[in-house]
This record gives sequence, structure tokens and C-alpha cells, in this order.
Amino acid sequence: MAYSQPHPRLSLLSNSSQSSVDQFSPTSSSTRFSVPPTPSIHSTLGSVKPPSGPRPNIYDRNLNKTRTSEVSASAFTFLFSEIVQYTQKRVGGINDLERRLNTLGYRIGSRVLELMAWRAESSSKAPKREIRLVPALMVIHTQVWKAVYGKAADAIEKSVENADEYMIIDNDPPIERNISVPRDMGGLSCSSFTAGVVEAVLDGLGFPARVTAHGTPTTQHPCRTTILIKLEKSVLEREEMLK
Amino acid sequence: MSHHLFILSPADSPIYSLTHHSTRAAASTVSPLASNLPTWSTSAFAGTLTALSGASSVAQHTPSGPVKMGGGQDRHVIQMIANASLDAIEDVMRKENAMYLRAVDKFNEWTVSAFVTPGNVKFVLLHEAKNDEGIRAFFMEVWEMYVKAQLNPFHGLISSSAFDGRIRASAKKYL
Repeated sequence: MAYSQPHPRLSLLSNSSQSSVDQFSPTSSSTRFSVPPTPSIHSTLGSVKPPSGPRPNIYDRNLNKTRTSEVSASAFTFLFSEIVQYTQKRVGGINDLERRLNTLGYRIGSRVLELMAWRAESSSKAPKREIRLVPALMVIHTQVWKAVYGKAADAIEKSVENADEYMIIDNDPPIERNISVPRDMGGLSCSSFTAGVVEAVLDGLGFPARVTAHGTPTTQHPCRTTILIKLEKSVLEREEMLK
Repeated sequence: MSHHLFILSPADSPIYSLTHHSTRAAASTVSPLASNLPTWSTSAFAGTLTALSGASSVAQHTPSGPVKMGGGQDRHVIQMIANASLDAIEDVMRKENAMYLRAVDKFNEWTVSAFVTPGNVKFVLLHEAKNDEGIRAFFMEVWEMYVKAQLNPFHGLISSSAFDGRIRASAKKYL
């Protein structure tokens, strides 16, 4: 019975180890193979970088330290792919999937906004918030996109038909570069995640809106995505008042 | 002299609060109404009533000596003042783009200063003395701590002792 035997690692601690287990235990392996024993991880790492005691707590770290650091695109793509798969297993339909991706993006957006603003304004004597709509949209188009994707979005447009609709257009969204939506899931746009980020930023700044993502491919840019922002009525009224 | 700090989420629910007693002396301002107040106010709402009447504090004489109670120092009065100031804060933040709103509201001896982060989290501070520069510096540190706390996926109601310690340290430094 394999189950009744103690775990090989446990057998090192308990002296009552059986011979059959010992054959597979790490200690006996060096006699069975002619490979020289490898130095332990601690000694190799120790020579490169001495351990510097316990990790500093998050409140002691400098928020600007990671300002210019970048994450590899493949790590990001793998992570996002897992997010989509994880979410897809837990939803009933495309609308539900988009809504969940939006929620995840929202949580990120609210943090991105706060961190971005802190980095820009914390050294200023009188830190400012954005209270006008168009400058706020410009901030999203450039700063937020740069903070999240490392590049600015491609265009920002105002709807001709509806005064409360704005569009932010990305010709080649980095999160969709490795995504091909199957035909039976037509209409799904994984950029709903980005829409969530945008919604959080607008909400935080005091412009509540409903934000959705739509694939609008052109022959030149097959991944072109439009983030559609439908503002609440109160936002337009406030804008009117501030004029 | 004491200070009361509340951190409110975008939905205006309190996520952190702190009472700080400063060792710095404050010029005490005695409200003329205070001396005229009857000493009947021993009910549960005494604090609220005396606060509303404009008195800063009332000394109650009990057999064990004078006990300071009521006035604007009761916990529920403090909370009421902080809550009431939200209307004033929201009015100002619609029109002004500054994050630090100094002396946005006043109630008896309390002055309310606030700080609105870009994510619409409000720091509300009740204080008695004018200390614009100190409060600004304090708010900036609270903001930094808040951003750090928020980047931690396990934050909700901020209950970390490290956070509390850092906020107390900066309160001691600036207030």
C-alpha cells in the first residue's frame, strides 16, 4: 500500500523510515547517481545577494520606485488569458462574461487612478483633481493608457448623434493581441476589462458613466476597439453649470 | 486639544477613524453661552444638546469632583459634525479642483478640513486651532499611506496596525 508509507521527506525526520522509502528519498540519491551534489539554494543566492532581514512592510516602501519598471508582455498576456479562462468557466453567457471582466477592470482602475495621481501630484504644494470632463477624458486617453498599457490610446471622439457619448479608440489594444474570439461568441470583446478601468477612473473623478467595449475592426487594424462611454445625465448638468 | 480624523470610502462609509490628542497648547475659547447652561444635562443626549447650544464644554459637578463631559467632545457629537460637513464638502468639491479643502465647514469650536483624493475618498479632520500648513502635510502623508494600503489586495476596512502606527506618527508630527 503506497498510502500507508510515510512521505519520504517526513522519513528524514522520523527515524523509523523503511528501506523501500529510503531509495527514493533525496539523501540516498547522490549514491545512486554520479551527479555531484548541487550546492543548496541558500549558499548560491547568499553569495550574490546577502539576505537583508525581514521584508519591509508595504508602508515603508517608496511608491515611486516601480514607476518606470515594466512587466513583460508575455507575462501579462498569460495572466490575462488565465483571467479570461477563469471567468469564462463561471458565467452563463457573453453578457455575463463581459460584465465580470468589467468588474475586474474596475477594481484595477480605481487603484491605477489613485496611484497615478499620487505620483503626479504628491510633490505639489496644492494637489489638484480633474473636475472638467474633457480634460478628464484626455487624462484617460494618455496618462491612464500609459500607466496600464505603456502607450497612449489612438483617438478620442465625441458622438455626433448623442451629446452624452464619447469614444476612446485603440487601434491595437495590447490585451487583445493574442486573442481571437470564436465565431459562436460573436460580439464578445475582451476589452471589457479596459472598459472597467475607464469606468472606475471616471467614477472616481466624479463622472459616473456606463462604459462598454466594442470591436470595430478595419482592414488596416483588425483588432481596433472602441471604448464607448455613456455619461449619466448629472455629469452633463454639472458641466453646463461649470461653463 | 484633540483632532479627529475619518477616512470615508466613495460611498461615504467610514473605513478608518482616529482620535489624536495633541500636546500642543491651544488658546481656549470659552463660549459665552457655556456659563449660562443649566446643569440638568445628564441624559444620553446631553452632549448633543450642549453642542447644539453652542457651548464648547460643560463641567459637571459630581461628588467625586468636576467631570468634563458633553460639549463638542462626545464621540457621537464628533461623528455627527463630521457627517454634517459632508454636504459642505460635496458642494465645494463640485466646483473646486483642489484636493485639500481647508476649513470647509465650522461647527461651534470645531473647524472641519477635508482632503478629497482623485478616487473620491474623503479624509475629514475636525480640529480646533488653525494650522493650515501642518494639516496639509498631515493629509499628504495620510494620502500616501492610503494609496499603499489600497494597493494591497487584502485591504477593505483598514485594520492594519502598521497603517494605524504610521498615521499616529504623522499626527504626532504635524498636529
